[in-house]
Amino acid sequence: MRVPEVAEYARSLPNVVYVEDNLYACSEEGLSSIKEQIAKQHLNRVVVASCTPRTHEPLFKEACEEAGLNKYLFEFVNIREHCSWIHMHDSAGATEKAKELVRMGVAKACYLEPQEEFESEVFPAALVIGGGVAGMTAALSLAGQGIQVHLVEREKELGGLIRSVRTLFPAQQDTEDLLGPLVERVRSHPQITTYVGSEAETVDGFIGDFDVSIATDGQTKELKVGTVIVATGAQELKPIALYGYSRLPNVVTQLEFEEKFKEGADTPRNVVMINCVGARIPERTYCGRFCCTTAIKNAIWLKEQDPEASVHVLQRDVMAYGVDIEEFYRRAMELGVRFVRYDIENPPQIMGEERAEAVKVYHQLMGRQVVLPTDLVVLTTPLVSREDNERLSKMLKVPLGSEGFFLEAHLKLRPIEFATDGVYVCGSARYPSDIRESVSQAYAAAAKAAIPIRDGFVRAEAITAFCSERTCTACGNCVEVCPFGAIELQEGRFGETAHVNVAQCKGCGCCVAACPSGAMQQRGFDDRQLFGMISALAEEMTSGTGRQ
Amino acid sequence: MQDKLRDIVNKLQAEGAIEYFIGYCPGAGPHLVVPCFVAGEDEVERLVWNPLCLHNLSKYILQARDLEGKVGLLVKGCDARAIVELLKQRQIEREKMVVIGVPCQGQVDPAKLEKVLGVPMEKVKGVEDAGDAFLVSVGEEKQKVPKEQLLREKCFYCKHPTSFEYDSTLGEMIPLSMDADRGEFALVEELEQLPLEERRAFWQKQFARCIRCNACREVCYACYCTECIFDKKTPRWLDKPPLLPENEIYHLIRVLHLAGRCIDCGECERVCPMRIPLSRLYKKVQKDVAELFNYEAGMELDEVLPLVTFELDDQDSFM
Amino acid sequence: MAPEDNERGGDGSEPKILVFACNWCAYAGADLAGVSRLQMPSNCRVIRVMCSARVKPEFVITALSKGLDGVLILGCHPGDCHYSEGNYFTRRRGLFLRGLLEYLGIEPERFQVKWVSASEGAKFAEIVKEVTEKIKALSANRP
Repeated sequence: MRVPEVAEYARSLPNVVYVEDNLYACSEEGLSSIKEQIAKQHLNRVVVASCTPRTHEPLFKEACEEAGLNKYLFEFVNIREHCSWIHMHDSAGATEKAKELVRMGVAKACYLEPQEEFESEVFPAALVIGGGVAGMTAALSLAGQGIQVHLVEREKELGGLIRSVRTLFPAQQDTEDLLGPLVERVRSHPQITTYVGSEAETVDGFIGDFDVSIATDGQTKELKVGTVIVATGAQELKPIALYGYSRLPNVVTQLEFEEKFKEGADTPRNVVMINCVGARIPERTYCGRFCCTTAIKNAIWLKEQDPEASVHVLQRDVMAYGVDIEEFYRRAMELGVRFVRYDIENPPQIMGEERAEAVKVYHQLMGRQVVLPTDLVVLTTPLVSREDNERLSKMLKVPLGSEGFFLEAHLKLRPIEFATDGVYVCGSARYPSDIRESVSQAYAAAAKAAIPIRDGFVRAEAITAFCSERTCTACGNCVEVCPFGAIELQEGRFGETAHVNVAQCKGCGCCVAACPSGAMQQRGFDDRQLFGMISALAEEMTSGTGRQ
Repeated sequence: MQDKLRDIVNKLQAEGAIEYFIGYCPGAGPHLVVPCFVAGEDEVERLVWNPLCLHNLSKYILQARDLEGKVGLLVKGCDARAIVELLKQRQIEREKMVVIGVPCQGQVDPAKLEKVLGVPMEKVKGVEDAGDAFLVSVGEEKQKVPKEQLLREKCFYCKHPTSFEYDSTLGEMIPLSMDADRGEFALVEELEQLPLEERRAFWQKQFARCIRCNACREVCYACYCTECIFDKKTPRWLDKPPLLPENEIYHLIRVLHLAGRCIDCGECERVCPMRIPLSRLYKKVQKDVAELFNYEAGMELDEVLPLVTFELDDQDSFM
Repeated sequence: MAPEDNERGGDGSEPKILVFACNWCAYAGADLAGVSRLQMPSNCRVIRVMCSARVKPEFVITALSKGLDGVLILGCHPGDCHYSEGNYFTRRRGLFLRGLLEYLGIEPERFQVKWVSASEGAKFAEIVKEVTEKIKALSANRP
């Protein structure tokens, strides 16, 4: 895409008085330049054509405000994700398209009007859904800031996934040493109300004003909170029908292995672990991130219990990143754990009818099949998203990604928020996270969730609907259509007309499309603006009737 | 029936129950009937009722909103559907009107009459309903013509609202039952069978003839917006010249606004000076609304308009 | 929409397709397609709206009348609408509009409604390719 050509074209558009071609418009310099030109050129509209508004629009809007220009007089045109990045081999087409997108953006900008944002109060409490390490850490962090927290956990006990884990990497610390004090602090904190064996059933409302109902102890408890943190974690994949799992009694998953040997049973003499079971396959392409670490941890433990034990780990690449996991891996090898590489085309085979007796695998380095006699087969499986995620996603109006985990607003720039305001996510609910990561994310989520509460108010984006009373016929279509019940018919200057409650309006625009008279409009997306864009796009097309 | 009507209206006036009455009166010639607003006995004397009372008077009732008192109105069963819709769409309150239902048994289509009898309408002195025939007075004669030969198309599919409380009626309100030799949507289905390009050519030809007189909009009960979107300056949905792209936009947007509200009164087609077959367009709207959303306009007072609601299992096979 | 509309100056240039994409799902899905560098034909022009339900059917009619070759409305999957119900209205309006346009002799390929979620970058690319191809075939048939 030829940017200078697009810039040149922009200069030719009506109402455009200044065009700047900048490599990084969102940098300090870029923003300063914008502010400077607003003052110098007496600009009353600004259009930036670059990346997606979903990331940097707030930044540019702030810059406009700082320069004294109402931030709603700013329009963003996406010529990167929607143009240059997807038409890399079609320079002519991409350039044409970019020009037209800019033309459309300018047309819309001409109809933008200054807006004031509406402030609404934030209820000073937070809801944390999920009482695992992430949830508890987030709850404690919020409570430590003096914020009232409601912590909801589905199981009868707090702790989440690590309750099934016996020891923690790398020091083989007993899980109870971490979990015990954490649970104790949560239970005894005056600002935290814990609901175990409970589920959040409904969450209605919006940032600052969520109405929550929790099913607890056979009753329903209603609460109000300002922000919500999702820390529901994930679950270990149970690889039914793979490698004899669920059919043969001595084929277990890593977590099941840890639970089984928690109570200190005799460890088996021959153990074969198979990694990447149900991960990095066509049906589930992702890597579970720390399951290798878990396998290594358990392999080391087995060798420490019984140095004579024969422990094989069948793997397809060992993910041992960083310093400590790499050292852990090395230690496992030093202790005599054997890592055998297999490939996805020749998976290991379990031999044995009633029990797994041996594992046959094609040893890549040796270049031949080997048969490993075994007393126990441990399958290393990734964490997968919880089945409940669909329900939660609809309840909170937050999206799920392609693997069923929660999808954050932006992978790099907004990793623990959702596009929906007031809801945050941390821990394995987002993608398989180990304890260190879960804890960091929990602190991040708590910090974010605390901001609106500490501010005491939020400003709603001024993209709400409004009704021109003069032309409203009070037909009631808008009232019927509004998903939030934000519109009422009331007596006004022109008789009975529709009135929008700005605090409740979420700016969807359903009402606008349902209004036959065109009285109902949406700030920032009104008919003149959108129609202006359509007209601008269709501008240079002859209509065969002589009309331009 | 005319006498009964005049009696009722006079009584209402005497009681001071209504400010005026909306009904039909003779027009410039005996073959013409026009809507009229009458008050006072001598004006009431002019009220008529016959198979030439084609107009849908419902729209005029909206003027009652500005008055202190009530207004009386004569409606055929089909026109009452417009009243039901106006009530649903909150345009007027039931208390503002005194509705008199007239048991219509079919209206005459003047174009058909001219063709069948071979005389221009100017020669027609009057038409009476005679059960299964119309008695047409031409000159000194009265010709008896089987009803189906002169019947207005929409009357073959006569529909009344399922439940509507008239303040009084001039007889029992029963929909006309006529055997039509074709289905209600036959004209629509005919077009639907044509290949796409022929359909397009058909409509392009029709819309090209539109002079944008807006008569269809003026006569339609559902077009009550104080400022029509076509008259708005921003955005300028339409330019004024009656050119093809504009005309098509005009008609299609009117269809969109009428979807789920068109009650098949047929007025738009009746008043079109260019005789554009609007019934072929609006019956399609009614057909789709019935098939897709299981809905008919103007039948029940407590139904919700189809395009401001949805079903979780709405079809998405079109997607 | 006179037949000449789809030949811009008679030089057979590329069809132009208007796309309405909802902010929460479809627009994000389109962004993801961009981030993933999925390549597709350059005929589509996206207008961002907060919800697909904002799209007035009147926009579709005027766009097609003004000579745009196709209009595509993209929204969230049923049940996932950020505003809980918006896309159900979109679906209903789309259903009715499609029937109307076809009755007027306008090819069904010119107006489509599709669901694209925020994580469906590949689906967005597929839809763009498919819709563009179908509409290109139409324009080529115009006299």
